[in-house]
Amino acid sequence: MKSWDPRIEEMPKEDLQRMQYKLLKSLVYRLYSFSPFYHDRMKEQNVHPDDIRELSDVKKLPFMFKRDLRDNYPDKIFTSTQEELVRYHVSSGTTGKPTVVGYTQNDLNTWTTSLARALTSIGLGRGDVIQVSYGYGLFTGGLGLHYGAERIGATVLPTSVGNTERQIELMQDLGATAIACTPSYLLHIGEVAEKMGVDIKRDTKLRTGILGAEPWTDRMRTRIEDWLGIKAYDIYGTSELSGPMFTECREQKGFHIWSDIALVEIIDPNTGESLESGQKGELTITILQKEALPMIRYRIGDITTRDDEVCACGRTHPRVQRIQGRVDDMLIIRGINVFPSQIEYALMAIPEVGQHFQIVVERKGALDDMLVRVELTKESFSDKINDLMQVRQKVEHRLRNSLNVNVNVELVEPGSLPRFEGKAKRVVDKRSL
Amino acid sequence: MFWDKKIETLKPGELRELQLKRLKKTLFQVQHVDFYRNLLSDAGVKPSSIKTLDDIQKIPFTKKQDLRDGYPFGFFAVPMKKVVRIHTTSGTTGKPTVVGYTKRDLDTWANLIARNMTMVGIGENDIFQNMVNYGMFTGGLGFHYGAEKIGMAVIPSATGNTKRQIEMIMDFGVTTIHCTPSYAMHLSEVAEEMNALLDSLKTGIFGAEAWSESVRRSLEKRLGLTAYDSYGISELFGPGVAFECPERDGLHIWHDSYLVEIINPKTGEQLSDGERGELVVTPLVKEAMPLLRYRTGDVTVLMEDGCLCKRGQKISRITGRSDDMLVIRGINVFPSQIEYVLLKIPEVGNQFMVYIDRINHLDEMTVEVEINRDYFSGELADLARLQKKVVKELRDALELRTTVKLVEPGSLPRFEGKAKRVIDRREVI
Repeated sequence: MKSWDPRIEEMPKEDLQRMQYKLLKSLVYRLYSFSPFYHDRMKEQNVHPDDIRELSDVKKLPFMFKRDLRDNYPDKIFTSTQEELVRYHVSSGTTGKPTVVGYTQNDLNTWTTSLARALTSIGLGRGDVIQVSYGYGLFTGGLGLHYGAERIGATVLPTSVGNTERQIELMQDLGATAIACTPSYLLHIGEVAEKMGVDIKRDTKLRTGILGAEPWTDRMRTRIEDWLGIKAYDIYGTSELSGPMFTECREQKGFHIWSDIALVEIIDPNTGESLESGQKGELTITILQKEALPMIRYRIGDITTRDDEVCACGRTHPRVQRIQGRVDDMLIIRGINVFPSQIEYALMAIPEVGQHFQIVVERKGALDDMLVRVELTKESFSDKINDLMQVRQKVEHRLRNSLNVNVNVELVEPGSLPRFEGKAKRVVDKRSL
Repeated sequence: MFWDKKIETLKPGELRELQLKRLKKTLFQVQHVDFYRNLLSDAGVKPSSIKTLDDIQKIPFTKKQDLRDGYPFGFFAVPMKKVVRIHTTSGTTGKPTVVGYTKRDLDTWANLIARNMTMVGIGENDIFQNMVNYGMFTGGLGFHYGAEKIGMAVIPSATGNTKRQIEMIMDFGVTTIHCTPSYAMHLSEVAEEMNALLDSLKTGIFGAEAWSESVRRSLEKRLGLTAYDSYGISELFGPGVAFECPERDGLHIWHDSYLVEIINPKTGEQLSDGERGELVVTPLVKEAMPLLRYRTGDVTVLMEDGCLCKRGQKISRITGRSDDMLVIRGINVFPSQIEYVLLKIPEVGNQFMVYIDRINHLDEMTVEVEINRDYFSGELADLARLQKKVVKELRDALELRTTVKLVEPGSLPRFEGKAKRVIDRREVI
C-alpha cells in the first residue's frame, strides 16, 4: 500500500516519540514566552517549560477548553500577527459568539499534508474524481477536503451541499469515484438516487466514501457499504484542530493520528487523569505544529479509546477508535448514561429497521422518558398490525438489553423522518432544564 | 502596484508577438479535441495557416451550444489524470457546461486574480471577506485562490446570513469585500438598520452582474469604500478576465492570456476599436480546456489605448447581452433552461411567462405557468403540491429560488411571431 510520506508514516515508534518530545518542548517554550494566555495558564498550574523533561510530562500542562476560545473571541489568543494570517474559519456557536480559528500559510500546509496522507492511506490518488459534498465556506469540511484532494492530484468536484439530484447527475456524468460528506447526507443521496432510478452500485463509478463530521457506527458502515457498493471510511477533525484531518486507513480500524502533527491523550473526563491505551475516555489533543492558534491539551469532548499498536497497514502512528459520543451529547436517562451512537449500533443490527431514527427525550413528572422513533425498511413495512407489534417488541427488547434502560419505541413509515444535508440532528431533547 | 509588471505593461509589438506565439500553441493543443479537429479541417485551417493575428478570422466561432453538445468531457484537451478541478456553469438546457482545469490552469487563474487585486492596491496585509458562493460557481474559489496567492487573510464567508456577515466585517476588521453589487446594496441597508459602523472597509470588488455608475456612487457612499468592477466567465476560468484599475474608466483585459475581438453579433464580422459589439475571446494559456474564438455573448467596446496606469487596452463595462441570457442575483439563466424544466413536468402546459423584478435591491423571478387539465385533478392540495414541485425543479436546474404561480389554461398571452416570454422589469442598477 502506497504512503504519501513513507519516511514519516512508517517511522519507528521510538523515533516518532523523540520527534514529538522535541516539538512539544519547543511549543511549550514558545507559548510560555510569547502567549500571555498560555503563560498565565502555566503559571496557575505551577508548571514551567523546564519541567517538561520527557513526553509523558505533557500531563503536567493545563487543559484548554472550547470556552477558552469563546471567551477570547475573536482572536485574543492567536499567537501570530495579523500579517501572517491567511485564513479564518468560523464555527457557529450554539450559544453566543462563534468560535474563530485563524491559519498561517504553514497551518494550511500542515492541515493539507495531514489529509493528503489520510486520503492516500485509503487508496485515493491522481486517477480519482473526488466529489466534495461538504459545505464550502466558513465550515472547514468543504475547503479542507478540497485542499487535501487537490494535493494528491485527484480531480476535485466542489459540489458543496444541497441540490441532491444535481449531485447525483454530476456523480454519474463526471465519473466521481469518491465522495466526501456526512454519513447522513450519503444516506439521503442514496435514497434520492433510488427515486431517480439510479443504482449507485451499477450506474456510477463511486467506490469510496469519506464520511464524518458526526458520529456513526460500524453497523451503519456495513449497511452503507452493502447498499451502495462502496468502502466507507471515517474521517475525523474539528475546526479547532484546523478541520477534518485524520481518517482510517484501509484496515478501517481507527483514525491514524499523525504523531508529528498531534499528540493524543485519552483522559478521564471527570478527574482529568490520563488513561491507558484501550481505556475509554475523552479525546485530548495537543497540536504540535500550529502557529496561529496553538492547542495544548485541548479537550474536544469526544469519547473514544486509543490504540498504540502498529497497524497492519504498516503505519506506526497511534489510532483513535471511532467516536462513541460526545461528553455533552450523553443523555442521562433515569441515571443511566446513554449515547445516541449506542442506540444506532443496536438498531442497525435489526434487519427490519431502516437507516433513520430519532430520539425524543422528555421529562414526564420527575422522570426522563426516552422515545425512539424508528423507520422501517420498505420490505418490512406492512399493514399487518401483528407483524408491526412483533417488530416493535423486538426493537424495544434489543434496546433495553444494550442500554439497560426501558425505552419506548414508535415504528414509522419509511421516508417519514427528517433527512439531513449537513450534520444530522437525531436527538430532540424536550426537557426544560 | 503591479503583480507582474513586465507582462502587464508589454509594449504593443511585444504583446502581439507573444499573442501570436501562444495562439499557434493553442492551435496545436486543440488538436486533442475532436470538435476542433473537425471544425478546423472543415474550415480548411491548419496550424500553419495562422501566420498573423489577423488570420484568426479564418477560424469559425465556438458557441455555448457547442460546449453543451460536448457534455461532459468533449472539450477536454488533456487526459482526466491531469484535470485537478471541475467547475460547472449554467448551460442552455438541462445539462450544465463543464469546465476543467489542470494544476497549471489553477495557478494561471490565481495569478490573473492576483494581478487584478494588486492593481487596485489590495495586498498581503488586507483582510478579505469573500461573500459569493463557493463550490461549483467559479466566483468563490476563483477569488479565494487569487487572494491566497497574494497572502492576505481570507474569510470564506460565502453567501447568506447578512447580519453575521456584517458582524464579521466589524469583528475581524475586514478591509476588502467581494460580492454582487445587488448583494452589496442589501448589505449596506442591513448595516444601516443595525447601526453598524463598517469603517475598516476600503475596497469593494463587485461582479457577476451589470451595474451602473449611480450604484457605484451609492455603494461608495454607504459602505465607505472604493468600488471596482470585475469581469469574468467560467468558460474562460471564471473571474479574473478583466478588471478596473484605479482610473475606473474601463476594464483592463489581460491580453497576454486572452486574445480579444469585438464582432458584429449578426454578421460575425470583426469591428474596429470604439465600435460596440460582442466580445469574442480566444484564451491563450488554458491547458485543460482550450477554446477558439469563444462567443461570450457580452456586449462591449474596445477602448482607446493609453491608460494612465500604463497597462494595455481596456474594454468598456459590459452594457448588455447579444443573446437572451439573464443575470439574476449573479446567476446566469437562459430562458431555454426554464422552458426545458417546465416541459419536463406533464402537469403544466406549454405556455409560460417569466417576470423579473428587483425588490429591496435583490432580484426576484416569478414564473407563471398554465396548468395542463389532462393531468390535473383540480384539487386544492394537488395544486399546492404541484406548485412546490415546479419551484423545486426550477431551483435544482437554475440554482435559483423562484416564485411560481399556476394559472388557468388559456390565460397567458399567445404569440404569433417570436414569443416574448421574459419580461425584465428591473431598472438598470
